[in-house]
Amino acid sequence: MEQQALWAIGIFLVIYAIIISEKIHRTIVAMIGGLIMVVLGIVNQETAIHHIDFNTLGLLIGMMIIVSTTAETGVFKYIAVLAAKKAKGEPVRILVLLSLITAVGSAFLDNVTTVLLMVPVTFSITRQLRVNPVPFLVTQIIASNVGGTATLIGDPPNIMIGSAVKELTFMAFINNLAPVAVVVMAAYVPLFIWLFRKKIQTTDELKRGVMEMNEKNLISDPKLLRKCLTVLGLTLVGFFTHQLFHLESASVALAGAFVLLLLTGEHRMEQAFAKVEWMTIFFFVGLFVLVSGLIETGVIAELAKKAIDLTGGDLVATSLLILWLSAIASAFLDNIPFVATMIPMIQEMGSMGVDNLEPLWWSLALGACLGGNGSLIGASANLIVAGMAGKEGYPIRFVQFLKIGFPLMLLSIVLSSVYIYLRYLI
Amino acid sequence: MLNYGYDEAALRISESANENDVEFRIVLAADDPSIIAGLKRVRQEFDENRVYTDVLFYHYPDHEYKIIVRKDYYVDFVLELMKQRLLQSVEWTADR
Repeated sequence: MEQQALWAIGIFLVIYAIIISEKIHRTIVAMIGGLIMVVLGIVNQETAIHHIDFNTLGLLIGMMIIVSTTAETGVFKYIAVLAAKKAKGEPVRILVLLSLITAVGSAFLDNVTTVLLMVPVTFSITRQLRVNPVPFLVTQIIASNVGGTATLIGDPPNIMIGSAVKELTFMAFINNLAPVAVVVMAAYVPLFIWLFRKKIQTTDELKRGVMEMNEKNLISDPKLLRKCLTVLGLTLVGFFTHQLFHLESASVALAGAFVLLLLTGEHRMEQAFAKVEWMTIFFFVGLFVLVSGLIETGVIAELAKKAIDLTGGDLVATSLLILWLSAIASAFLDNIPFVATMIPMIQEMGSMGVDNLEPLWWSLALGACLGGNGSLIGASANLIVAGMAGKEGYPIRFVQFLKIGFPLMLLSIVLSSVYIYLRYLI
Repeated sequence: MLNYGYDEAALRISESANENDVEFRIVLAADDPSIIAGLKRVRQEFDENRVYTDVLFYHYPDHEYKIIVRKDYYVDFVLELMKQRLLQSVEWTADR
């Protein structure tokens, strides 16, 4: 192996280790790693920029602007309180309904944004009922990762895969991943009830308090809400039909975002831009450049060759290897850098003679998204909820989450294995 | 402790302690837009900070509001009510 490849591997492993240790913010580490690749000449600046996937970044930025502006209207609080009333103030039913709302929201808004919207409302409802919010938050974390699996925009790994493989359209993600996400969620709901029903009891008087709430006043700006829902609806239509117009998903999301800012006026623009999670965006930028070092020096091609040697190029073995490897890795590593590394590897397998890459892409998506439920550090949404809960005095412990999340994750991967095998491999 | 006074013809405020919270009930005498706007601004103030469980608002029919205030935010909440002119006076009593 060439000297430069060894340097690229060394830098990648050190940066990866620092990201996992969480001693320094992952964005700073990833950016420094990317810049080291450029400064040492492993990739030049032009090549590095070429490897930054602006479709992933544009999609994230566009959706963040649309969702943060929509959140200003209070509509998400309205939906949550309405759900609590429909559940007749019964904590177990509320837990199930909020987790289903989180799953659907995560599919169409992205899971990080969804949990950011759901956590404050959950605190509000559970405080009203005087029940521990942790079971609600844990089930929402798990539901966000399952819901996010269902669509191209639901979870960062899917955004990255959809962006890298042009044939995998928004509809292709729904057709191939939504069925298994629905099955997994249907399997989880009874388990949620069984796990938590005794821990979230309340009194009839407190339930009545929820039932008597007036949710209509939660909509703070009906005029803005109409604009937001129109644009959000059109953007979703755009996602469903983007391949007909030969548009990338980022073009659809950014068009939606800027049409909304045009309708709402300049005064909202600064606020909307301030709510974009620039740290996440730059984390992606750093990672893309970091991984470009491995691609340009041939390390990824070598890894792909080794994987094919291991499985003998057999599609069943390779798909299941990718599914389980992605799930276990994503449970304990950040799934974003993992997927950033796996994408070029699978592409390389294509050029090495593996004809049908489709099951491999779906295996990667299912493993990386559902694997995120394996531990508290498995996905960005998990860390965000845990951080918010800890700050408010309701810490979610690593082992506490592991005991629930890991077995549930294994169940989802067993279901996915059966699905992948039956649908693509026989 | 803090003592506060308000226009009893316009609203009624009651509070009760509950574990780590103080629960306020505010009932408006009528649909007074300036008081409603004031309450909205109080809510906005606590909604926009980065603490999610400091002050939680629940709106009920007949101009009734239940507000759950974390004990460590009690003073901030009362002062915000004063700032928005929902209270007429706020003072520290001698036992503090």
